[in-house]
Amino acid sequence: MSRKRIRNILLKEWALLFTDLNSAFVITLLPFLIVGQAILYIWVAFRFGGESMLTAQVFQTALQKLVEAMPGVTQLADKEQLLVLLLSQFNLFLLLIPTMIAISVATFSIVDEKLSGSLEALLATPVRTWELLLGKALAGAIPALVMTWISAGIFLLVVSGLGWGDLIGFVVGTGWFLTLFLLTPAVAMLSFMLGVTGSSRAKDPRGAQNTALLIILPVFALIGIQITGIVWFTPSLILVLALVVGIADFITLRAAVRLFGRESIVVEWR
Amino acid sequence: MAIIETFGLSRHFGKTAAVEDLTLAIEAGEVLGFLGPNGAGKTTTIRMLAGMIAPTKGYAIVAHHRTDRDVEQLHEIVGILTQMPGLYNRLSARRNLEYFASFYPSIESQSQVEKYLKLMGLWERRDSKVGTFSKGMKQRLALARALVHEPKVLFLDEPTAGLDPEAAGEVRQLIRTLREEGRTIFLSTHNLSEAEILCNRIAVLHTRLLALDTPEQLRRRFFRRQIIVQLEALDAEVTDKVKKLPFVQEMREEGSQLILELTDSERNRPDLVKAIVETGGRVIGVSEKQYPLEDVYLRLIHEENKNES
Repeated sequence: MSRKRIRNILLKEWALLFTDLNSAFVITLLPFLIVGQAILYIWVAFRFGGESMLTAQVFQTALQKLVEAMPGVTQLADKEQLLVLLLSQFNLFLLLIPTMIAISVATFSIVDEKLSGSLEALLATPVRTWELLLGKALAGAIPALVMTWISAGIFLLVVSGLGWGDLIGFVVGTGWFLTLFLLTPAVAMLSFMLGVTGSSRAKDPRGAQNTALLIILPVFALIGIQITGIVWFTPSLILVLALVVGIADFITLRAAVRLFGRESIVVEWR
Repeated sequence: MAIIETFGLSRHFGKTAAVEDLTLAIEAGEVLGFLGPNGAGKTTTIRMLAGMIAPTKGYAIVAHHRTDRDVEQLHEIVGILTQMPGLYNRLSARRNLEYFASFYPSIESQSQVEKYLKLMGLWERRDSKVGTFSKGMKQRLALARALVHEPKVLFLDEPTAGLDPEAAGEVRQLIRTLREEGRTIFLSTHNLSEAEILCNRIAVLHTRLLALDTPEQLRRRFFRRQIIVQLEALDAEVTDKVKKLPFVQEMREEGSQLILELTDSERNRPDLVKAIVETGGRVIGVSEKQYPLEDVYLRLIHEENKNES
């Protein structure tokens, strides 16, 4: 029964999501804006800042980590090594897609229903809190995930189009696939779970969105620590990270169920 | 057999008591009107009985389920029409109902959705988006949603509030149909004539339960039965004769009417008419003075306010 209920919540959420112009815009266009922005940064950094970046201490440390992780890059010229370093950040940059979609979509998923009164009617049915929250989180996470994978494909096409196709072999490896198919789904779920939790606790839509902004900070932190060479995310490290985030997903769901105040939703939102 | 029973049911929000020590029993198949001013605790009571909020003291049993313990089972057998219709405006009427019906394991949702869309007169508009519906249509759809799983008990929280007279009449007619089907209905309303038309018994709540009885018994509690005799013309001989009748307790004249309180309003009526006719009086009609339920309600609330102050 739970599976059927979650599926029904998911299908209803999709029906609402894709009939709302704002949400549809965020889900379909935001990923392309993020990919475009990332490629633009890489191109600008490589085209105009290449020499100075090569001499900067912070990038030398990062390049050293890159060489340790991918010894094959030593065959490349220094500038090409720098380009591989920049392109390798993209898989972490992709994590921004589900988190940003979560901020926009998940944060309103409960608040909207509180405001319209449909949540009170829903809470009068036998639906369980975890079914409701998981259904809502999956309804946002799945399209966000699909868009992330499409964006990754587009990124590779554009990289080839820019004449950097020879470098794709260095960028797309075990770590790339682990990020895309393990870490991204885990981060997507975490983002949406946190978004839905924030939404269920918020007193108003603005409060929901403010809470959700915090979701994006850890992703920036990941990008920051890799590009500055503090830590290089090797496949095994990505695997560990994905597992940790997966456990966090589960804990967040449990916490979200505990924090979901059925009574306060019914009493305070009229 | 009681299908709803409450035992000292109370709910406080902080230091404020919303409902205090509510004890009542409602029979299966009964329609109970729940009256009270704004903030009297009507919605809070409904929410407690529907298992949506827990009491702070006391408990309630609805269809053999403790409302504070067996919440999931309770939600399968009660239906609630909340004050806001709470529908998804961008979805069709059918999709809205299908969604809510999908949470109940024991029903065949497709046929139930069809049944209630037809009953509510919305079948022709089943594929229209709810956002295009009038307020009355939305209310009927919300009522369909409350019924789609064939609940044993139906809670209606101000079902006609904010509707125009035509739409309110349609909703009332639907409630009447449900009553005829023998459903147990707990109807919270501000509309006293609606309560009188639709309900077997009336409960008046003002945080505490002030009264619970049939509309007729409630009237008798405050107003003695008065018989109105409409005469063609009043004359002294008739009034003297009537005044002396042993079963006449009180009498006053109003135009060509005699207003009387009798020992037994039913049994003494023929003797009264006979006595008037024998004295030469010409009787046009005999009726009982009807006090509107509103008068009873206002007296109850007024007395409660006086007690509080």
